[in-house]
Amino acid sequence: MTDAEQNGFGLQCQEVSHWFGETKVLYDLNLKVNAGQFVSLIGPSGCGKSTLLRAILGTHPPNEGRILTLQNGRLAKADHPGRDRGIVYQKYSLYPFLTALDNVALGLKLDQTTTMFRWFNWAGWSRKRREFRDRAAVFLEKVGLGQAMNLYPSQMSGGMQQRVAIAQALIMEPAIILLDEPFGALDEATREELQEMLLQLYEENLEAKSNGGKPPYTLIIVTHELNEAIRVGDRLIGLSQYWDWKAAGHTTGPGATIVYDKPAPVFRSNERPNYESFDDIRKEIRKYVYNPEVLQPRDEHVCLNSTK
Amino acid sequence: MIGRPISRPKAVLLSVLSVLMLLVGYTWVSHRQHQVNPNDTTIPSWGQLAEGVKKFTQPDRKGDRWLVEDSLATGERLALGLAMGIVFGFLIGMLMGCISPMEAFLHPPISMLAKVPQTAALAVYFVFFGTGMEMYVAMISFGIIPALAVTVYLAIKDIPSEMLDKAYTLGASAFEVAIEVVFKLVLPKFIDAVRLGIGPAIVFLIAAEMVVGDVGFGYRIRLQFKLTNMNVVYPYLAILAGFGFLLDYGLRALQAKVCPWYQNGAK
Repeated sequence: MTDAEQNGFGLQCQEVSHWFGETKVLYDLNLKVNAGQFVSLIGPSGCGKSTLLRAILGTHPPNEGRILTLQNGRLAKADHPGRDRGIVYQKYSLYPFLTALDNVALGLKLDQTTTMFRWFNWAGWSRKRREFRDRAAVFLEKVGLGQAMNLYPSQMSGGMQQRVAIAQALIMEPAIILLDEPFGALDEATREELQEMLLQLYEENLEAKSNGGKPPYTLIIVTHELNEAIRVGDRLIGLSQYWDWKAAGHTTGPGATIVYDKPAPVFRSNERPNYESFDDIRKEIRKYVYNPEVLQPRDEHVCLNSTK
Repeated sequence: MIGRPISRPKAVLLSVLSVLMLLVGYTWVSHRQHQVNPNDTTIPSWGQLAEGVKKFTQPDRKGDRWLVEDSLATGERLALGLAMGIVFGFLIGMLMGCISPMEAFLHPPISMLAKVPQTAALAVYFVFFGTGMEMYVAMISFGIIPALAVTVYLAIKDIPSEMLDKAYTLGASAFEVAIEVVFKLVLPKFIDAVRLGIGPAIVFLIAAEMVVGDVGFGYRIRLQFKLTNMNVVYPYLAILAGFGFLLDYGLRALQAKVCPWYQNGAK
């Protein structure tokens, strides 16, 4: 892989299928995500969005096919969780025994020092710890939590905890960040604030691209909210079990696959979108992704981007 | 209203009142008993209790102070037994919770051991460990290991998998996940389990001392009870209760110090 190819590579799913016993979840899924893309993954309940995310994370590798990510500069199968993929869960999953600052600094500690170093080189570890905490403080400032560094998760609101979780993932500079319904448990106002925060990251991507560099953030966000998907993502991927699998020769549903893949309008972080203008996109998504009455052969679905 | 908090002074006042009621109640019962039999020693008066305290705090004919030698003997046995139980209980719980083959291997014996009443198994300990220090230590540690190990094991099973998976994405190795995440999450619950384990540990020890001891709280209580010297037995029981309370208080203070995050909201 050349440097240019590496710079543009985010993630690739090749012929990914997954099932749990008799239950077929994902079928022959192909997806290529480029570095710097913000992909919104949408689909009906139970279509396997979270399963796909877990497969990419590596906790539940696919039964068939493979998922490739850049690991230490080389393409490798993502068959176990690793520091090249960050994750933000709906329930925050912060470590309750650490303050916001130490939660964010934890990744640097685990990634850049060994247990032996921390146990036996006290002076070195003390120096490193200070350095890690300084860097964590910068990231907390970035997500707007400069005043809450010393709070424990139990002392923070849901929105604050999710900001910390995002900073925790960002500080590792992973090749790709996975967000599993990250704002699902938050109120409307907090959701919007956090969406704007993600859009600020997208702006940093655009800036890096315009300077000829590699965009620093690549995101896959799973969400139920279509408005959120359209606002935050620059690409909309619809995963659905509603496709004409009979025409493909199957006698039973083989699972969900990608039935929709289109670019999404790009917004600036300080731009309040007119959600009514999303009507056409929403209608199209509802028709092709959510409607069990509209069953088309896979190739005839709305797939503008090449996913192979 | 159910669960409505009360002010601190009110809480202290009520605590003091409950202790005062106990003391007044005892005084009244003792007084009644002495009206029936002025030489009664089963419910000693405050004066008789003072004599009893004098008896075990001052040197006897051999020059030994009972309280000192009993405290040293019982304290050493309890400390060693608790230490062994805590170390092995924690290690076994961690192994069972973190490593599936260890869970399959250790779960049956731990579950079985948990069901054996330690005081009923006293004879088994005599056979395997004699009647010396080893027996006391084994009895206490085997007595508390199952409960401590199961507490740690269940606490680990209770950790959301997302927290563990996330640690791997932050660059942790399996060992680091165990040390940096699992250990720290389990620690406050383990301290709670140790607090609960102190009571049974003291029961096991006192029971063993009553049967085979030649020094120690259990031995002294049994001996003085046979002589119906309840003016020694009651203060000894009060000292044991006070000791248990202090140990519990110390562990709570330790928990607050090393796990400050373990407040109501974070449990």
